[in-house]
Amino acid sequence: MAFEHDLLAILPRLRRFAASLSRDRTDGDDLCQATLERALKARDQWQPGTRLDSWMYRIMRNLWIDEARSRQRAARTFAPEEAGAQVGHAGDRDIEAHMHLSDVERAMQSLPDEQREAIALVLVEGLSYKEAADLLDIPMGTLTSRLVRGRGALIELMGEAA
Amino acid sequence: MSGIDEAMLMALVDGELDEVNRRRVERAVAADPALAERLATHRRLRARLSGHYAPVAEEAVPKRFLALLEQESTMVPMRRRAPAWRGWATGGAIAASLVLGLGIGRFSSGTDAGPIGLHNGNLVAQGALADALDTQLASAQDDAAIRIGLSFRRKGGGWCRSFDGVVAGVACRQGKDWQVKQALPGAGHHAATYRRASSADARIMDTVESLIDGAPVDAVGEKMARSSGWQ
Repeated sequence: MAFEHDLLAILPRLRRFAASLSRDRTDGDDLCQATLERALKARDQWQPGTRLDSWMYRIMRNLWIDEARSRQRAARTFAPEEAGAQVGHAGDRDIEAHMHLSDVERAMQSLPDEQREAIALVLVEGLSYKEAADLLDIPMGTLTSRLVRGRGALIELMGEAA
Repeated sequence: MSGIDEAMLMALVDGELDEVNRRRVERAVAADPALAERLATHRRLRARLSGHYAPVAEEAVPKRFLALLEQESTMVPMRRRAPAWRGWATGGAIAASLVLGLGIGRFSSGTDAGPIGLHNGNLVAQGALADALDTQLASAQDDAAIRIGLSFRRKGGGWCRSFDGVVAGVACRQGKDWQVKQALPGAGHHAATYRRASSADARIMDTVESLIDGAPVDAVGEKMARSSGWQ
């Protein structure tokens, strides 16, 4: 089927996009898998003749945003005493995971979501401003100001290494 | 300052400036070392980020993703395609009684000349036939001397492929080998030049039917199976 064939061709780029959005490769591949599952289920909604890669990027981005929001909600909902014994453990794991991150990953992690996705689409995936703005449903001016702020933060975080 | 802001520098690096603005920024950069350094920083950042994530797109895609797609491509179109693959057996049912008429003399000789050899007491594909089974896609074999027919999973697991050439038959993956389940005189070199069904077709179809679990995979499934080494 042409659909699966085209998906297969896009898959490496999707994994890269997922890696740049997620905190590590494992989370990235989980996101990628969820995106594939969603796309296969919703394949009737894709209009042949339109760009499958944009459609896939959009699905991935939306899943990632949903996931990020529910994580934030959970973080706000659990009071420290409720989280209780798990706090120490989860904290250790976070610190440990953080230690394995490279400078680039750590810097990307620290960006607000809306800057990270803009940076990922333009600097990592190589999309044009127009493509990225369309995909994120934002005006070009909003995109460029996110790119400027995101870059400023990355340069500061990565210092000379940038 | 030269009136060049961060957004302009960034747009230059991202290839988003038109000719007029690009020249303007480049002139300003040439005349201002501090601006040149900022531009260099932006270039380094972009190169560092894209360079950092680029290897992800070079890696082999994990099997679980391929499996998801493969599942989809065999299951969804199956009902529509099921009758079509039987069309491969159009050659009529001439029950040629000479089995293994061609090439059989070489099977047991131990030399590597023929398409089929002995390995641990089993008939296995070798040479060009093994190569074709390993790598050739039914969807791309215009001039090949050996033609691959169907690729499918057998009952109990594992991949099988039917082939036609000097010898026609069905082989199933067993470890690194292709065990030949059936070998009949094939369509010979005609298989390469024009697509005529060999007299062996009907019997090969019977073998396929006795082995197959579900339906043969399509071009995508075939490609994915190949990239996972037919495991």
